[in-house]
Amino acid sequence: MKIKKRVTKTVYHLFVVLFGMLMIYPVLWMISGSFKDNAEILRGSLGLFPENLKLTNYATGWSGFGGISFTTFFKNSIIITAIATLGTVISSALVAYALSRVRFRGRKFWFTCMIATMLLPGQVIMIPSYLIWHRLGLVPGYLPLIIPNFCGQAFFIYQMMQFMSGIPRELDEAATIDGCSKYSIFTHIIMPLLKPSIVTTVIIQFYWKWDDYMGPLLYLSKPQSYTVSLAIKMFADASSTTDYGAMFAMSTLSLIPVFLIFLFFNRYLVEGIGTSGLKG
Amino acid sequence: MKKKLVSLFIAASMVASLTACGGNDSSNSSAAPEETPKETSTEDSGKADAQPEEAEASGQENTSDEQITLRMAWWGSQTRHDLTVEVIEMYEKEHPNVNIEYEFFSFDDYFTKLKTLVASDQVWDIFQLGGNFPMYMDKIYPLDEYVESGVVDVSKISDAYLKITQDFDGTQLGLSNGLNTYGIAYDVDMFNAAGVALPDENWTWDDYAAAARAIHENTGNFGTSGFSTSEFIAGCSTYIGQLGEVGEYSFFNLDLTGMGFDDASMLEPYIQMRADLIKEGASPDAGAEAEVTNIENDFLVTGESGMTWVAVNQFPTIYDICKAEGRTLGLAPLPRVTSDGPSGAAIQSSQMLCVSQDSEHKQAAAEFISWFQNSTECNNVLQGERGIPVNEDVRAALKANAAEGQQIMYDFVDLVGTFEMPEKVNVLSPDGQDQVVDNYRNYIQQVVFGEITAKEAAEKTYADAQAIFE
Amino acid sequence: MKKTETGCIRKFLYKENTVGYVFALPFIFGFVCFSLVPILTSFYYAFTDFSLGSKTAELVGFKNYVRLFQDEVFLKSLGVTVKYVLFSVPLKLAFALFVAFLLTRKSGLVTLYRSLYYVPSLVGGSVAVILVWKQLFARKGLINTMFAGIGMPTVNWFGDQTLAIVPLILMSVWQFGSSMIIFAAGLKEIPTSYYEAAKIDGANGFQTFFRITMPCLSPIVLYNLVMQTISAFMVFTQVAIMTSGGPNNSTNVYAYNVYKQAFTYNDMGYACAMSWFMLVVMSIITLIIFKTSKMWVFSEAGD
Repeated sequence: MKIKKRVTKTVYHLFVVLFGMLMIYPVLWMISGSFKDNAEILRGSLGLFPENLKLTNYATGWSGFGGISFTTFFKNSIIITAIATLGTVISSALVAYALSRVRFRGRKFWFTCMIATMLLPGQVIMIPSYLIWHRLGLVPGYLPLIIPNFCGQAFFIYQMMQFMSGIPRELDEAATIDGCSKYSIFTHIIMPLLKPSIVTTVIIQFYWKWDDYMGPLLYLSKPQSYTVSLAIKMFADASSTTDYGAMFAMSTLSLIPVFLIFLFFNRYLVEGIGTSGLKG
Repeated sequence: MKKKLVSLFIAASMVASLTACGGNDSSNSSAAPEETPKETSTEDSGKADAQPEEAEASGQENTSDEQITLRMAWWGSQTRHDLTVEVIEMYEKEHPNVNIEYEFFSFDDYFTKLKTLVASDQVWDIFQLGGNFPMYMDKIYPLDEYVESGVVDVSKISDAYLKITQDFDGTQLGLSNGLNTYGIAYDVDMFNAAGVALPDENWTWDDYAAAARAIHENTGNFGTSGFSTSEFIAGCSTYIGQLGEVGEYSFFNLDLTGMGFDDASMLEPYIQMRADLIKEGASPDAGAEAEVTNIENDFLVTGESGMTWVAVNQFPTIYDICKAEGRTLGLAPLPRVTSDGPSGAAIQSSQMLCVSQDSEHKQAAAEFISWFQNSTECNNVLQGERGIPVNEDVRAALKANAAEGQQIMYDFVDLVGTFEMPEKVNVLSPDGQDQVVDNYRNYIQQVVFGEITAKEAAEKTYADAQAIFE
Repeated sequence: MKKTETGCIRKFLYKENTVGYVFALPFIFGFVCFSLVPILTSFYYAFTDFSLGSKTAELVGFKNYVRLFQDEVFLKSLGVTVKYVLFSVPLKLAFALFVAFLLTRKSGLVTLYRSLYYVPSLVGGSVAVILVWKQLFARKGLINTMFAGIGMPTVNWFGDQTLAIVPLILMSVWQFGSSMIIFAAGLKEIPTSYYEAAKIDGANGFQTFFRITMPCLSPIVLYNLVMQTISAFMVFTQVAIMTSGGPNNSTNVYAYNVYKQAFTYNDMGYACAMSWFMLVVMSIITLIIFKTSKMWVFSEAGD
């Protein structure tokens, strides 16, 4: 019995690890690509180990374009992403609470509106949105990239609502009897219990914002204000020469913040769930 | 009572938000029709501005103490970004009162961004346009008045080269960044290995197809590859120009108001040849073609194809890559329908720099463009990366120091220049051509998949092209 | 006097309606300013021949909508999109749930594993990774090398009209991470007491899964289903970089087609009409999912 259990366990871990390696093969290939020279990449070699190790890709990549290095691009990306993510978390939680826990007039209507915002492709409202920001005099600038995130994002509002629907209403009722207002229920009961959902939001929103290049393309103008994603897109230009090695090198580096955020919050995700006190 | 108060408060806030929305909305949704008068007014004010500026042009010193900022943008590769930034800094040093804010993009991103700027009347003072410029005609401020006043120096640019960036009525829309024309780059060794004679300057499409087949059969490689986007202009459209007498036919007519040929079946032999080559494996199919993302990983460069289409300004790059691997590339003119028939070739502008209608410093922008095209110092840095310079002194200076691949490119353009060409050539592409080209490519694939015949593909392409002008 | 006034305000502030609007305010503000106006503008454009380059727009009535049904490229793109959604969403959700379930084991390594499986989603939007993915399915790519290795014929993925969509679907499934995380968090939320009770009652793993796990997870399943369906309908970047819609429009999905019409072919009015048509289609689909969800979603809070 004990042996059988151990075998099952080993098989389980082996399977999970092997399968996981298969999953991340493309990423590993990209990282190894950052150490290959252009010719080798263009030949389409599939090995994970470069024929001749080329470390200069990082140096050439980092030096960026036209005298602006990736130091600037990373700084810009971090500022935009951090503020926008913070805004998303706060505003989405507020809105989700209203829509799932407060019975106010027009709730159904606003819920429908929220779902509707997800249904139109961004390409279509892109130009009208741009014109609005332009009329407000905020283009070029970071604000058009940040302000909308402080207005709640349907994807996350809806996600938080789903989590809230799992939080027993008895807790609210008990708190109300104890004299808590709706406001303090939100801050004292819902927010702490929402932790796993908030952590999920932070992780997802961070990399969405980090990867987004359409927004920066439209709303930023000076190369000094470009983000990492936009700068990397320039390496991957199909109409002229492309330095694949440098692109892979910078892409690899651009994954690091996203991955760090994930690792950092992943810990909280587990802890948050462990202490969420939802045992019944 | 309290309930009433609450609903009143909500009602008030709703009204406030509604009016805010309504105000915004009405101004926005009616934006387009309102734009028309607005546009003419900007144009007027632009012209009005130009008057005093022109007056000042005689005493140019006047403007030099006023600090101005010019916005400039282009698309291209990292090399182009680095070189262009370098010359911008050079210009700023020479003109301390001018500060140039530059932006650079990849090709697709550039046009996405440009379209948003067109929509908001904010186009960069100096911007780069290619053959698709008729779409942006409203945003181009012609250079004629500056040419007249001498702000833009065209003394070393031949009329023929000025013409390539002119509208039909002779309006100077911009100055060309470089000359360009299409050719066929080929792998000399692969031709020899397959026992095929190297192309000469009078070779025909039959020779071309035969060479492609022979290379495919004897070496297992593709006979010919190449971007299908450039194939439309370099192949299909050139083919039409080669039929009949010199200048008798062109794909679109010269003033872009209709077709330049009247029988759809004229396209059929060419489409049939393309489809046959793909079907036989002598030319890449859609899947293989999708793997080619730029000229540097074209199958010719990777050693998997004997020939490819190439815009000649890209030739030095691929020549150098292949040379480093010990292979030699040659450059041949586009094949003809008959060896003594018209070449159909045209020397075009790769791109041009234009002054924008939205600019507040049109003259200063024009001054920069003039310097950009005419300064030898500047072009020594740029190294003809955008195409062969139009200024003859600059061209001579660069040619004197050209590397091997560049030398072949210069000789090739000289050779094409000796071909008999029609009086008037169409250097523009009409608004809507992109869709015609995309559909044309799909029709060829449908012929390959056996869904339609070459005749139907020719008819459909013709109908699509004609639909632009309705 | 003053006391009653503040009391009044307090009372007002604590009204359900006030509370609702106070909390929903960020959304309402954002919706009105940044969504409603653009949405209405695009609705208007759909009845015009608006194009970005020339900026002139004339009302053309229902011409753009009529054109939709005569446009073979659009009709084909509809079919392609539906095919993509029907294959990618169920596969992705099943896969995400499977992995999330696999990783609920109590083991110190689970966090590490979860990170490993999450990597594709973290990087999937990056241009470089899409290029790598394209390379895998190239004629001489890893997949074909493997096929050749086990004696199978190689496949020209991007040259075949029926197969070209496969790499796109697989890439979507590969990015199951965010669904997985949400499932995983949902699984953790299920009170352990339920499982303990089930164990005492002698339920087997199969029964536990369908009687306890699935019902408790059903709001999360609904959420993931709606979200993934919507985002599958919007797939764009992968198509733009990997296939550009080819060959012969067999991967020309709807969002890519809209983008081409608006930005490449410069036909904003037509692109807007396309979007509105699809908005209606997707609303109907979303509505169907919501309506049927009443039958299978179990809500603890009730409504």
